[in-house]
Amino acid sequence: MAHENFEIADGVDHQVAMVMDLNKCIGCQTCTVACKTLWTEREGTEYMYWNNVETRPGKGYPRRWEEKGGGWVSDEHTERTPGEIPASEDYGEAWEFDHEGILKEGEDKKLAPEGGKPEWGPNWDEDQGAGEHPNSYYFYLPRICNHCTHPSCVEACPRQAVYKREEDGVVLVDQDRCRGYRYCVEGCPYKKIYYNAVSKNSEKCVFCYPRIEGEGPDEEIHPPACADQCVTQLRLVGYLDDTDGPIYKLVEQYEVALPLHPEYQTTPNVYYIPPFAPPQHSEGGETVDVDRIPRSYLEQLFGERVHDALDTIEQERQKVERGGYSELMEILQDTNPAEQYRLDRTGVFDDD
Amino acid sequence: MSSNNDQPDGDVSRRDFLKGAGVASVVGVTGATIAEQGLNNLELVDDPIGSYPYRDWEDLYREEWDWDSISRSTHSVNCTGSCSWQVYVKNGQVWREQQANDYPRFDENLPDPSPRGCNKGACFSDYVDADQRVKYPLRRTGERGEGQWERISWDRALTEIAEHVIDEVTEGRYDAISGFTPIPAMSPVSFASGTRLINLLGGVSHSFYDWYSDLPPGQPITWGHQTDNAESADWYNADYIIAWGSNINVTRIPDAKYFLDAQYNGTKRVGVFTDYSQTAIHTDEWLSPNPGTDTALALGMARTIVDEGLYDEAHVKEQSDMPLLVREDTGKFLRASEVPGLGADVENPEKVMVMQDGDGEPRIAPASLGDRADKYDPSKSIELDFDPQLAVEEEVTTTDGQVPVRSVWVNLREELSNYTPEYVAEETGVGERTHRKIAREFAESDAAKIIHGKGVNDWYHNDLGNRAIQLLTTLTGHIGRNGTGVDHYVGQEKIWTFNGWKNLSFPTGSVRGVPTTLWTYFHAGILNNTDEQTRSMIQESVNEGWMPVYPEERGDGFRPDPSTMFVWRGNFFNQAKGNVAIEENLWPKLDLVVDINFRLDSTALYSDIVLPAASHYEKTDLNMTDMHTYVHPFTPAVEPLGEAKTDWQIFRELAAKIQDLAERRDIDPIDDRKFDREIDLQSLEDDYVRDWLTEEGEGDGALADDEAAAEFILEHSTESNPDDGGEITFADTVEQPQRFEAAGDHWTSDIEEGEAYAPWKDFVQDKEPWPTFTGRQQYYIDHDWFLELDEQLPTHKRPPEQQDQQEYPLRYNTPHGRYAIHSTWRDNEKLLRLNRGEPVVFIHPDDAQRRGIEDGDRVEIYNDLSEIEAIAKVYPSADPGTVQLPFGWEKYQFPNRENFNSLVPMYMKPTQLVQYPEDSGEHLHFFPNFWGPTGVNSDVRCDVRPKEGGDN
Repeated sequence: MAHENFEIADGVDHQVAMVMDLNKCIGCQTCTVACKTLWTEREGTEYMYWNNVETRPGKGYPRRWEEKGGGWVSDEHTERTPGEIPASEDYGEAWEFDHEGILKEGEDKKLAPEGGKPEWGPNWDEDQGAGEHPNSYYFYLPRICNHCTHPSCVEACPRQAVYKREEDGVVLVDQDRCRGYRYCVEGCPYKKIYYNAVSKNSEKCVFCYPRIEGEGPDEEIHPPACADQCVTQLRLVGYLDDTDGPIYKLVEQYEVALPLHPEYQTTPNVYYIPPFAPPQHSEGGETVDVDRIPRSYLEQLFGERVHDALDTIEQERQKVERGGYSELMEILQDTNPAEQYRLDRTGVFDDD
Repeated sequence: MSSNNDQPDGDVSRRDFLKGAGVASVVGVTGATIAEQGLNNLELVDDPIGSYPYRDWEDLYREEWDWDSISRSTHSVNCTGSCSWQVYVKNGQVWREQQANDYPRFDENLPDPSPRGCNKGACFSDYVDADQRVKYPLRRTGERGEGQWERISWDRALTEIAEHVIDEVTEGRYDAISGFTPIPAMSPVSFASGTRLINLLGGVSHSFYDWYSDLPPGQPITWGHQTDNAESADWYNADYIIAWGSNINVTRIPDAKYFLDAQYNGTKRVGVFTDYSQTAIHTDEWLSPNPGTDTALALGMARTIVDEGLYDEAHVKEQSDMPLLVREDTGKFLRASEVPGLGADVENPEKVMVMQDGDGEPRIAPASLGDRADKYDPSKSIELDFDPQLAVEEEVTTTDGQVPVRSVWVNLREELSNYTPEYVAEETGVGERTHRKIAREFAESDAAKIIHGKGVNDWYHNDLGNRAIQLLTTLTGHIGRNGTGVDHYVGQEKIWTFNGWKNLSFPTGSVRGVPTTLWTYFHAGILNNTDEQTRSMIQESVNEGWMPVYPEERGDGFRPDPSTMFVWRGNFFNQAKGNVAIEENLWPKLDLVVDINFRLDSTALYSDIVLPAASHYEKTDLNMTDMHTYVHPFTPAVEPLGEAKTDWQIFRELAAKIQDLAERRDIDPIDDRKFDREIDLQSLEDDYVRDWLTEEGEGDGALADDEAAAEFILEHSTESNPDDGGEITFADTVEQPQRFEAAGDHWTSDIEEGEAYAPWKDFVQDKEPWPTFTGRQQYYIDHDWFLELDEQLPTHKRPPEQQDQQEYPLRYNTPHGRYAIHSTWRDNEKLLRLNRGEPVVFIHPDDAQRRGIEDGDRVEIYNDLSEIEAIAKVYPSADPGTVQLPFGWEKYQFPNRENFNSLVPMYMKPTQLVQYPEDSGEHLHFFPNFWGPTGVNSDVRCDVRPKEGGDN
């Protein structure tokens, strides 16, 4: 089937995907903590945030990741854009604290990161954004690996240790085969692969495949932890090619869910509902009909299609405000949890 | 571009090479040569997109997704979340937690109530075996606060405490023994554990809701009730929501979904915040009033509503005091006893107000206090069988002769006439068109709601602000229906299962409750450290018996100092405003401070004995909140670490130790000087574990353990065991969170199937008298102090200056932050790594630049009380002139142990010390957490400077 707004990689049967509604992200970091507690408390992974939430505009995590290259030169996916490995300072260290010494051994110092004043961390510029009060602006951007259709990390690995799974398109780093060269770290334009200096392997978001496979002791399918534990339930998870599912509708039918930085040409499978914000204030404290978040900024993140997406959302909101019905508005609310996560392929696809 | 370490350069991309295309990649370093591949004996993969042959390794991560058992629990952290969690145990250790996704839905049209949780709840497991965990009883060996301890045995610890308590009680100083523990709803068994012992000992139980300035005094003043709120699901029922100083997206994370989903359900959401807050970013319109001017904004909106005739006349006439007549000569309500021929039919005409009907005839206001039996009297109705006049201004014949009177409505209109659009815009900074438009939209919505929070409740004049904001809902009739009202979400005032909790906590029924703000400041020396008016009003209130202070003044006029303090489930010392005075004056008066805690917080650090408490994943208890209508449990996922015990076990064992020593010393029962009861130490444990509500003998030993105590609460509460409904047992709550069956008398609406709880229906829909003096929503207060201070009606007053404005040009504000529930989790590594690892102060770029401060610099914040240190966070969304330091940091996270509260003086507002009516107090009288002075802290000023050598 031809789709206007997405494609499934050759050789991949179905593509798992996620839509995140930025109008419901409150920056609470519950997803970040849920992911960390589950996956990155092992030695060597402490500094990693497979899922992070960053304030936009902002430098992000790792710092200035958008300036570090990677991805493809064009949609022909033949030439890759040069990339670099972020410096460890750009991630920030996992600070240690001396609770024991201060609280139990009478050390006369304050509880603070050991080794001096911290300079940067994974969420250092939280809430800062841009502009000037009362017309400043900021919003939150949760990020995981995009499990791209054209993953430049796969291409970058000379050992073919990065691959995209046939059944669901999840991109993984083979922890047996990986030798920690970090070409994938360079090659990923989203900087969503991390080097584990203890295991000497690179690691990344696994889309919680053991959970979506139902591989736990309860043998039940669970959405990825970041989605399942999201308190505002801003994430929808399912298969892009499930044409009855909400993700297909948001991406293909309503065209309100957009990939981040489409110009990187990796064709991400994580999509975002772009943010809107209250209008600006005049000097006299009056509300004035001017966009608070400059459209040009959103265009930088989500491409030109962001205008149509925001217009569609606005129209549908007005329709509901006037008492009308909108399927789109219904999809974006958590009134139908069964549709939020369509991960059981049984009965959805003929071949499963 | 960085170069790579151990990889030879190549100029052909691997994929292109494999395809044989031979197209040179622009990427120099990322290709691998044939030689490299050969050297590593790497087998070729045809195309790792789709087909990849070596997938056995995937079991590596699959093996991580494994556990041995799952238990249901939650967190007891002075939080209104009340989120049910699943706790995963692997290899005997708590591994992780995840929100339980099984809150039953009661209305399919509302967003799913699951999941509930937040970033903090998602890592409580870190605390279970954290470095700061208390594993054994500790006794201080250094000075308080030094962190030097010796491990002692349980027997030793309990013996020392018991001997001290016995001395205090036998010498008549039982009212010098204090127990501080906040909100019962988060863990009522733990709350009751110590409170029950303190009650049996004749000790003092502390309020918390007023102390933390969570109480909105305007609600008891106007609505006669502590506070009553809709559960958060009801937000979704509103067509129009104003989030007024309530930073939902930070402080109500589990509930935020209802606010966010409403945006797609046709609801307009307005934010009123001085800064472009984390909640403002997700509104449809944001108003940015100058700090401390919310009252002016609300009254300006009220003026628009009244002037433009947008008010709900029927509601105002029946449900409010607006038609009541007020004497111009005294400022007091005209009473039925003062009008010849009126009031013959009522019990006490001196406490019955007067209206005027359409013919100009005086009529009694039915169900005024003198026309009903109690504060709450559902047998009476406020429904009117005549149409009262709203606007009355004339002379009436009274027993004092001709007296000019005006209705409250006329008085209100006169007050509102001050809030011209020009004045409001000038005072608040919110434009004339904008604030009037919002007022109109609010009035004209079908169901409009105000979510009200700490941003407006921590000011000295919080009562005026509350009353002004409440007025908007009364004028428009947006109250007493779903989707309407003022929902004040700050702290947690009450517990659903009230009756069971009350009987468990206070078995004797004779309670020494104390307003903690007054108790704390009194013993920290406020009488020597405040203005003359406040000082004399405090003394008058105490002398009149309006507000109690313990220890009581003895017959000879001597008042002993407090001597003993038990703190559990809270961090009293760290969170106390007036912190410097408390450390210098109150703390040294305490001969023994005992902290019962799972972690060493600041109060523990400044205690004499610390007892190791079970963590939240090691105990049995209940959990609930007024943000929703469910109850769910704590159950132990693992055994308590080290020698830790549950709170119930600890206080029970202390009771046993006291009883044992008292028996050995044959200590006689002591007559309580205030109540008709004896304090009998020889039966202390027997009384502790006895079920006082059963027949004598039958209940002996019934409450031996935590689960029995939890069952007691459920069994004896209307909400979980109504006379005419199903019973919720502890086992039911373990199975799944249970929605309450009914609402007891301390709620103002019923719990209905299929409907979110929304308050005030008893009064608005059923026409029961409001529990105020007038029986109506009462905006006019004719108490002498209110008249003296010209606060009989809501009025805007500027914040009093606690520090000199010239010397300290910045406002100092300590809002709730995202990474802690008060001080809990403030010391958590995982969350510290997600901000800046140290206290952070948010400052406007101009304020920073003017002081030579750059983002990330270490700075000092100071005023004439103290100076504290933090890292500057330059925040373009800040209101210029205000710095925010998210509160709750522990004293030991600052150099010199001066904390965020060190800059806050002791101050409180005397109007919150009154009783009303003065002689009998049915409308306003001291009751813990219901009415008492609030511990405010928003009127504070400071300045900020770079710290010398602060870059290191």
